[in-house]
Amino acid sequence: MLLNPKKIQQLADNLARSEHDSEELKGRSLWQLARARFARNRAAMISLITLLLIVVFSIFGNSLSPWDHEQIDWDAMGDVQILGTPSIQSRHYFGTDDLGRDLYARVIQGSQISLMVGLIGSLIAVVVGTLYGATAGYLGGRIDALMMRSVDILLAIPFMFVLILLMVMFGRSIYMIFIGIGLLSWLDMSRIIRGQTLSLKNREFIEAARAIGVPPLTIITRHIIPNVLGIVVVYATLLVPGMIMTESFISFLGLGVQEPQTSWGALINEGARTIQNGTLWQLLFPLAFFIVTLLSFYFIGDGLRDALDPKDE
Amino acid sequence: MLSFILRRLAIAIPTILLIIILSFVLMHSAPGGPFSGERSLPPEVLANIEQKYGLDKPLYQQIFVYVSGIVTEFDFGPSFKYKNQSVNDLIASGFPVTLVYGFWSFVCASLIGISLGVIAALKHNSWPDYAATGTAILGSVLPNFVMAPLLVLLFTVYLNWLPGGGWEGGQIQFIIMPVIALATSYLAGITRITRSSMLEVLGSNFIRTARAKGLPPHHIILRHALKPALLPVLTSLGLSFVGMITGSVVIDQYFSTGGIGQHFVNAALNRDYSVIMGVTILVGSLTILFNLLVEILYAWIDPRIRY
Repeated sequence: MLLNPKKIQQLADNLARSEHDSEELKGRSLWQLARARFARNRAAMISLITLLLIVVFSIFGNSLSPWDHEQIDWDAMGDVQILGTPSIQSRHYFGTDDLGRDLYARVIQGSQISLMVGLIGSLIAVVVGTLYGATAGYLGGRIDALMMRSVDILLAIPFMFVLILLMVMFGRSIYMIFIGIGLLSWLDMSRIIRGQTLSLKNREFIEAARAIGVPPLTIITRHIIPNVLGIVVVYATLLVPGMIMTESFISFLGLGVQEPQTSWGALINEGARTIQNGTLWQLLFPLAFFIVTLLSFYFIGDGLRDALDPKDE
Repeated sequence: MLSFILRRLAIAIPTILLIIILSFVLMHSAPGGPFSGERSLPPEVLANIEQKYGLDKPLYQQIFVYVSGIVTEFDFGPSFKYKNQSVNDLIASGFPVTLVYGFWSFVCASLIGISLGVIAALKHNSWPDYAATGTAILGSVLPNFVMAPLLVLLFTVYLNWLPGGGWEGGQIQFIIMPVIALATSYLAGITRITRSSMLEVLGSNFIRTARAKGLPPHHIILRHALKPALLPVLTSLGLSFVGMITGSVVIDQYFSTGGIGQHFVNAALNRDYSVIMGVTILVGSLTILFNLLVEILYAWIDPRIRY
């Protein structure tokens, strides 16, 4: 039988290539795989870009407008319904509020505060919740029962009412919101992490660490937490919109952020009050930012969950 | 079953007590009292008032008097701001209103949410599924304080169909918007949970068996699939109930419906301590009792849960 040298060469090439490919595949870590999966999720990628744009806007947007968030446009103030409408000529891109302040600048100011609340709130939840849950799960026994029982009791308290209570008692300010949200946001997180820790605890690598005498705290921080990080990331992303919503809820009631500071909730409240005057832009601009941001976080969280949990593949 | 209920109650009662004590201590550790307004009262008058409300006694005695008042007579004490009105009066005037729109939004959210979720799961990856999922995603970013102004914009400002606020004894046109505003985000959550749990159940072996032995489809769905699929939904119903009561704070504020949330916000702004505490304790206890109810139902429906 005559062998076609060309064909053999081709075969050899193919073999070599596939071997090369599999070597590359072997080198990819869980996080690299997750990143590739995330990048393939179109909704999540679009949301990520949108969110980045909103963040960039809230940091640098001010340089595009001549108006400051405290400055009052006296001309527009007298006749907001006509002179305060959004326009390029007056350089009030989003119009003005009822006091003649530039809404574009106010929305930027509100975005900064709302995004910060979301970020700091979930940061507290991540740090406290992860440590608390991992400790309870790892130590187990009576300490675990005590720690989780107190979480159950705290969860039974109506969160929003306590938050309002705190705002009333200790003054309405953005710092009080941070403290209030921080005090209560970690509860769910700690439960989830505890459950994960329980299933990790009896695995061989933890046993090995224990056998060579690694102290419990080091096991928790070095071996357990890195392994629950995927769930922490997903859950933290899904927490951010919740935090933003809570802050906006409180601010909508007028109990949260106080003038001259503002947030999306406070702006939506202002816009909602003047709804009968026909100054619609005062409601719709902050509302659009609020909804688009929440939707983006939702899709990103969803995408991350799919990316880090390859069960479906 | 009885021991399970008793055990749950044994946790619930200390929790309620803890809520009472916590809100009491919080209230009294705050700087400034209900009577330290803009104009300061002469010290003798202040002492008199404090004596009337029992604020001059040591804290543990005050707690004891307060708790025993609630436990024995269901008495939350007098309002600090409105003379001649007790906290009970305020709750009695506001709570029925909240219950009416809360009940209807609870019913709407669960019925529509469950139906949408089931339809989405049955027509998996087709247009009804996408429509239901889309509704669920959109609804989850439309909390009550966003829905309320949007509804007013649509139904009052543009269409002029419904009044923008008020209650008038609960006539239907005053109830519609509060109910929709309150129900939307919970409807979204219930739809999502129902859909995913229904999908999971429909893929399980016992449903395949039911199909294989030739049971009619509606029989499979209603008799076999729905019951296990609704278990996770039950938990979320507990959460929705709490959310609806909390949501009344926004609804009452925006639609001037005069429910319990309105009293709460007014009390919060006036530092009317006894009213704030009364409402917090009431809502807290209701939350705990409702969660207890859900847990019992859960254990009753699902025989796998050991109690």
